[in-house]
Amino acid sequence: MINIKSLLIIFFIVFINFSVLSDESDTVTTTSSDFETTYNEDEIFDPIEPINRVIFGFNNMADKIILEPAAKGYRKLPSPIQSGVNNFLSNLRAPLVVVNQLLQGQGKNAAETTGRFVVNTTAGVLGLVDVADKIGLEEKEEDYGQTLATWGVGDGFYIVLPIFGPSNLRDSGGLFLTYATDPFNAYAVREGEGWVVPLRTATNAVDKRSKIIDEVNALRNNSVDYYAAVRSSYYQNRKAAILNIDDSELTPLPLISVEFE
Amino acid sequence: MNFLYKIFFIFLLNATSLLADEASDWLKKEIDTILDVHRDTSISKVDRFNLIEDSINNNFAGAGISKFVAGKSWFSASKETKKEYVKLFKRHLALNITSIMQGYSDQEYELINSKYDEKTKVNMIEMEIHNDTGNILVTWRVKKSKDRYFVIDLIVADISLVVTKRSEFHSMLKKVDQKLNELNDVLRLQNESSYSIIIN
Repeated sequence: MINIKSLLIIFFIVFINFSVLSDESDTVTTTSSDFETTYNEDEIFDPIEPINRVIFGFNNMADKIILEPAAKGYRKLPSPIQSGVNNFLSNLRAPLVVVNQLLQGQGKNAAETTGRFVVNTTAGVLGLVDVADKIGLEEKEEDYGQTLATWGVGDGFYIVLPIFGPSNLRDSGGLFLTYATDPFNAYAVREGEGWVVPLRTATNAVDKRSKIIDEVNALRNNSVDYYAAVRSSYYQNRKAAILNIDDSELTPLPLISVEFE
Repeated sequence: MNFLYKIFFIFLLNATSLLADEASDWLKKEIDTILDVHRDTSISKVDRFNLIEDSINNNFAGAGISKFVAGKSWFSASKETKKEYVKLFKRHLALNITSIMQGYSDQEYELINSKYDEKTKVNMIEMEIHNDTGNILVTWRVKKSKDRYFVIDLIVADISLVVTKRSEFHSMLKKVDQKLNELNDVLRLQNESSYSIIIN
C-alpha cells in the first residue's frame, strides 16, 4: 500500500513538473529577429515552380533508387578510403577555388589554397592525404556562383536542374563555367579520356551524398512540403556560402543540394 | 569618465560571457539527457520517443516557434484552430528533432563556442559533431525567459530548422488559401507518417 502511495506521489510530482515546465515553454515569445530572417525570405522567386516540381520528383526518385543506395554502400568502406577519395576530389577542385578566390579579391585565401594544392599534391600523394590541413592550411570553398554573387549578380529565379538538383539562374551559370574551365576535365578530354569527367562527377556526388544521408532522410521523412523545404535549405546554404560564414575547418554541409563539382 | 566607461565595458563583457556559459551548461545537460535516452536500448522505441518528446516540449519554445512559422495565417485563425495547430506543431517539432538527433546519437560532440547577442538577447551555442570523415556544425539558438532557458532554433550546417519550416508551411498555406485548419489536416497526417517511421 505504501509502495502504491509512493508511486502515486512520484507520478503526481512528475506529472505536475512536466505540465508546469511545458506551460512555461508556451509563454516564450519569438520574433523574426530571433531567427535572423525577414518576412521577405518566405517568398523565394520561383516562377517555374510547376516544372521544377516535376524535375524535383524525378531527381528524388533517382536519389532513392541510385544515389542513396550507392552512398550507403560507400559509407561502409573503411574511413581512410572515404577520406582519401574526398581529399583527392577536393584537391582536384583547388585550382578553380584559387581562381574564384582571386576573382573575389581574396589574395590571402588564394595563396593558402595554392599552398594546400602544392603540399597535398606532393607530400599528400596526389591529394589523397590532407597534409596541408595538419600544418594549418585550412580548406576553403569558392565557386563561380559565389564569385558572381560577390560581384552583385542577383540569384535570378529558382531552378531545379535534372540530376544536379536545386540551383538558381546565377548558380547554374556558375556550374556551366565550372565545367567549361576546369583544367583537369579539359586535360582529360584533350587526351581522349573524356570518360573521366562523368566518373569524377558521379564519384563526387556519391561522396557528398554519403555525408548527408541522415540529414536528407530527416528532412524527407518529416516535411509537409519536401520541395519547399529543399528550396529553403538550398537558399540558406548558398547565403551562408556567399557570406563565407563557414570558413572554418568544419565541413559546410549542404543539407540537400548535392554538389557534383 | 573614461575609466568609468572602461569599468562598465568590462562589467558588460563579463556579464555577457557569464550568460553564455550558463546557457551552454544548461544546453549540454539537456542534450546529454536526450542522447542518453537514444542510446538506452533497454527502453522501447515508443517510450523512447515519448521521453524525448517530453524533454523537447519542456525545453523548446514550441508555441512561440509555431506562431512564427504560421506567419500571417495565424492572425486569421480561430482560437480552437490555433490551439490544435500549436499541439500538432509541437509534436511535429519533436518528430523532426528526434529524427535529426537519431543520426547523431552514436557520435561524439562538444560545445565549442557560445555567444550572447545583447541586442536580440539570444545565445548562440555552437556544437561540433565529430565523425570519421568530417565534422558537422550545429548551432543552438537559446533564449532566456522567466529565469530559465529555452531553445528557439536548431541550425544544422547553416540551415535553420525554423526558417525551413516557415518556408515549407508558407508554401503549403498558399495552396490552401492561408487556412490554418486545412494545414492542421496535412500536419496531422504528416505527424502520423513521421511517427510510424520513428517507432518502427
